[in-house]
Amino acid sequence: MPTVVVMDVSLSMTRPVSLEGSEEYQRKHLAAHGLTMLFEHMATNYKLEFTALVVFSSLWELMVPFTRDYNTLQVVLVTDGCLGIGRGSLRHSLATHNQRSESNRFPLPFPFPSKLYIMCMANLEELQSTDSLDCLERLIDLNNGEGQIFTIDGPLCLKNVQSMFGKLIDLAYTPFHAILKCGHLTADVQVFPRPEPFVVDEEIDPIPKVINTDLEIVGFIDIADISSPPVLSRHLVLPIALNKEGDEVGTGITDDNEDENSANQIAGKIPNFCVLLHGSLKVEGMVAIVQLGPEWHGMLYSQADSKKKSNLMMSLFEPGPEPLPWLGKMAQLGPISDAKENPYGEDDNKSPFPLQPKNKRSYAQNVTVWIKPSGLQTDVQKILRNARKLPEKTQTFYKELNRLRKAALAFGFLDLLKGVADMLERECTLLPDTAHPDAAFQLTHAAKQLKLASTGASEYAAYDHNVTPLQTDFSGSSTERL
Amino acid sequence: MAALAAVGPPNPRADPECCSILHGLVAAVETLCKITEYQHEARTLLMENAERVGNRGRIICITNAKSDSHVRMLEDCVQETIHEHNKLAANSDHLMQIQRCELVLIHTYPVGEDSLVSDRPKKELSAVLTSEVHSVRAGRHLATKLNTLVQQHFDLASTTITNIPMKEEQHANTSANYDVELLHHKDAHVDFLKSGDTHLGGSSREGPFKETVTLKWCTPRTNHIELHYCTGAYRISPVDVNSRPSSCLTNFLLNGRSVLLEQPRKSGSKVISHMLSSHGGEIFLHVLSSSRSILEDPPSISEGCGGRVTDYRITDFGEFMRENRLTPFLDPRYKIDGSLEVPLERAKDQLEKHTRYWPMIISQTTIFNMQAVVPLASVIVKESLTEEDVLNCQKTIYNLVDMERKNDPLPISTVGTRGKGPKRDEQYRIMWNELETLVRAHINNSEKHQRVLECLMACRSKPPEEEERKKRGRKREDKEDKSEKAVKDYEQEKSWQDSERLKGILERGKEELAESEIIKDSPDSPEPPNKKPLVEIDETPPVEKSKGPVSLLSLWSNRINTANSRKHQEFAGRLNSVNNRAELYQHLKEENGMETTENGKASRQ
Repeated sequence: MPTVVVMDVSLSMTRPVSLEGSEEYQRKHLAAHGLTMLFEHMATNYKLEFTALVVFSSLWELMVPFTRDYNTLQVVLVTDGCLGIGRGSLRHSLATHNQRSESNRFPLPFPFPSKLYIMCMANLEELQSTDSLDCLERLIDLNNGEGQIFTIDGPLCLKNVQSMFGKLIDLAYTPFHAILKCGHLTADVQVFPRPEPFVVDEEIDPIPKVINTDLEIVGFIDIADISSPPVLSRHLVLPIALNKEGDEVGTGITDDNEDENSANQIAGKIPNFCVLLHGSLKVEGMVAIVQLGPEWHGMLYSQADSKKKSNLMMSLFEPGPEPLPWLGKMAQLGPISDAKENPYGEDDNKSPFPLQPKNKRSYAQNVTVWIKPSGLQTDVQKILRNARKLPEKTQTFYKELNRLRKAALAFGFLDLLKGVADMLERECTLLPDTAHPDAAFQLTHAAKQLKLASTGASEYAAYDHNVTPLQTDFSGSSTERL
Repeated sequence: MAALAAVGPPNPRADPECCSILHGLVAAVETLCKITEYQHEARTLLMENAERVGNRGRIICITNAKSDSHVRMLEDCVQETIHEHNKLAANSDHLMQIQRCELVLIHTYPVGEDSLVSDRPKKELSAVLTSEVHSVRAGRHLATKLNTLVQQHFDLASTTITNIPMKEEQHANTSANYDVELLHHKDAHVDFLKSGDTHLGGSSREGPFKETVTLKWCTPRTNHIELHYCTGAYRISPVDVNSRPSSCLTNFLLNGRSVLLEQPRKSGSKVISHMLSSHGGEIFLHVLSSSRSILEDPPSISEGCGGRVTDYRITDFGEFMRENRLTPFLDPRYKIDGSLEVPLERAKDQLEKHTRYWPMIISQTTIFNMQAVVPLASVIVKESLTEEDVLNCQKTIYNLVDMERKNDPLPISTVGTRGKGPKRDEQYRIMWNELETLVRAHINNSEKHQRVLECLMACRSKPPEEEERKKRGRKREDKEDKSEKAVKDYEQEKSWQDSERLKGILERGKEELAESEIIKDSPDSPEPPNKKPLVEIDETPPVEKSKGPVSLLSLWSNRINTANSRKHQEFAGRLNSVNNRAELYQHLKEENGMETTENGKASRQ
């Protein structure tokens, strides 16, 4: 998540901090020290994080802007907890919170998912002596509880500021390290951005789910078969080189740049499974299915940013036994070698996916819908059109006739049957002299059958009954077609 | 439909009591009280928390009421029935009390008549029952009302796809643009709701309360398959299911093509926000992320670890991936012990087997660069082998022996070595070692795998005794100082991490020493994982080391030995011994010299 650092530069931030036997510090200096630590941490361990800096007192100024817009944010607010007085102060804003109109909305909650971290250049006692803490807590509440307030433990000094920012780093900026595994092939990776815990909505006792640090590949699927599945989030999977103690190379804040570069160069020359996997996924147009936890899966694939740059990306599916209906239950996916014959065909020309759902959808079958007058009209017209082309269209004629008959019976629309029967009889009288003699026979037969059905009582009105073409001397050739 | 047909239309001449809607309402309440299979399961599962299982329902009653008081009578009836049934349900395992019930009464009357019943919004009749009344004209008005209700009841929203080009029925060569309205879960519009940016069709013909989001059809240009970043996929249904425009759209999709949908904007760039796609006869509306991502402009993978290596076995791993594709197994399978077999576990198991020996780069392997080895390499990873497989493996091995006899060149990588690289017989030695490593990694799979190894061990060549001696004699003097360094060098080239392979190296320690001169030529070539002990070499080489046609005796004794060895757990020391001498305190070296790999350990057992 990108971070906006919001720094309080009001006059109260220049209040001196009393330290024995050392040079004088202002709260501002402490804040700067803490932020330096945060930025250095990001520079080494969280390199891909985007940050912006805003300063404010009674006015605000964007010092370092984002170059892009994002849909989620982390906001780090640095203040001393002196909230000011009068109009526009936080205290005043909160007190008049209910009186605001739509156009003059309070900025919280942010109109995008966000976390608000408030770093106080003050200790708890100091904040509690006024109502500052309450006001700040209300800010977090207004942001739907997303966020946290940090205060300095003990006297205000560099060391304690460091430990406070340390807590923020642990909470929000710890890199997520994992091991990517495919059987015996493995690689140490960093997953960026950190996968956030996922709370399953419907569970009775919602427990946030966290992904495994062992990312185990279970098999592969063609991109066409996985077909743009819905995902919770996307993450870069970056191979990392770990030193002997298991730390990422270059965790030290004061890292010598040259050392790091040479370490990187060596790491670049050691074969890494991520690169192999990425290359093959890209060439083959496939994704790797990866197990993230019990009943939780995701996919690894090559994500191209441009023609030249591409990277290994991981998307998380929604937790559950069957995240994608067209793949079926994940646990039921097995190796093709267990199948009697290769489901992808000998020439790789077929696929076991997508799975067919048990029931055909209404739009995938020929249901009769008469919710608009035009629907009914079309169906009647179809019958008449075919009636004029008898006996060539005998089959289609009876097919359409039976469809209409079934629907009319189901809806209890018996009058329709009578009406259509009348129309067919009329068609019969209108037949031109050149018409095939069979046409007249079939029309009369069909009209009679519909009339029988419209009484609603006889066996002819049974729903499952089908009107079949009349066997005539002329229809010898057409029986073959039936 | 068949059930509807069985009921048939009401008979106007029948006793009005018999076709009273009251029977239907009572039956509806009864049905709501019956415990469903799902509720039963959930109740049994939760035990003491069984009360957490809810039982709420909705009764939709389409009828023709006589007056507002008639409606009140119907409501009272439902209220009364629920009350009674809840009493019954309290003492039953098969019934559940209704906690909440919504009664939706739809009064429908013929077009042209005036309604005798007035509309009424949702109202609480009791703690359990709420009721609402809709008065609507019959025919298409009823259909429209039901459409609206269905959206409310199932949290649906409507999207109208506009500008769908469609061939005219009459004039097949012209096409006109059509609109099709779809229903889907309202979450598919979540981005619009968040941004407050609704492209409302507004003037929807259907009524004032109906909102639909309009999206423009983008004619698909290619059939290129792409992986879109999709944040949600929701099933759809056309509002007017089988109208010509609807079925035209659905058939297009059901035939396997996808359509991207664009937000209509007067100006600015094109924003693709959704995609329609069918998966096995079901059509889904995919929500594509149109907001910009923090993952834009990431470093390329070639800039990271392993990014400078250029000879990855990309094609081979592609083949590996295709072999390890997944397929659904819908029928349950059982293991020998009767427990359920999880196909996904089988898939992991297969990956484990297939990767026991899998060098990642071309210069790390010889055998996988040889077409001649394919028949063996492709089957040896299997869980079990057929007789035919074994035969094929043996043929492969004989074929290799043949190649060696003919002195065919091998695709040994000369990367990182100066000059021509190792000599031909050294190349074959490396190849045989590697092949042995591969086969050894699988000997525990089955007895047939064992047989392949036996065949390999029986056939693999050893340098002839005399030549060996000759070399040794020549080199004895400088051996002391050189061998250590040379052996060190040797390893880099192979960079075999496996202790399995190590063993192979140690086993042939003798030859290695003898051949150290060859390697000396290439000082930057690799270093072994272990420093090899300087063993005083036994002047009489063991029988198995003799080259050329294998004697019947050695074949026989090999066979007996392996048969015997299977009857007992081989003494670890002997298993790893070099010329029947086991090296003590190996682990000390491993700790000092190299990282121990799990892989080797696993396959050694």
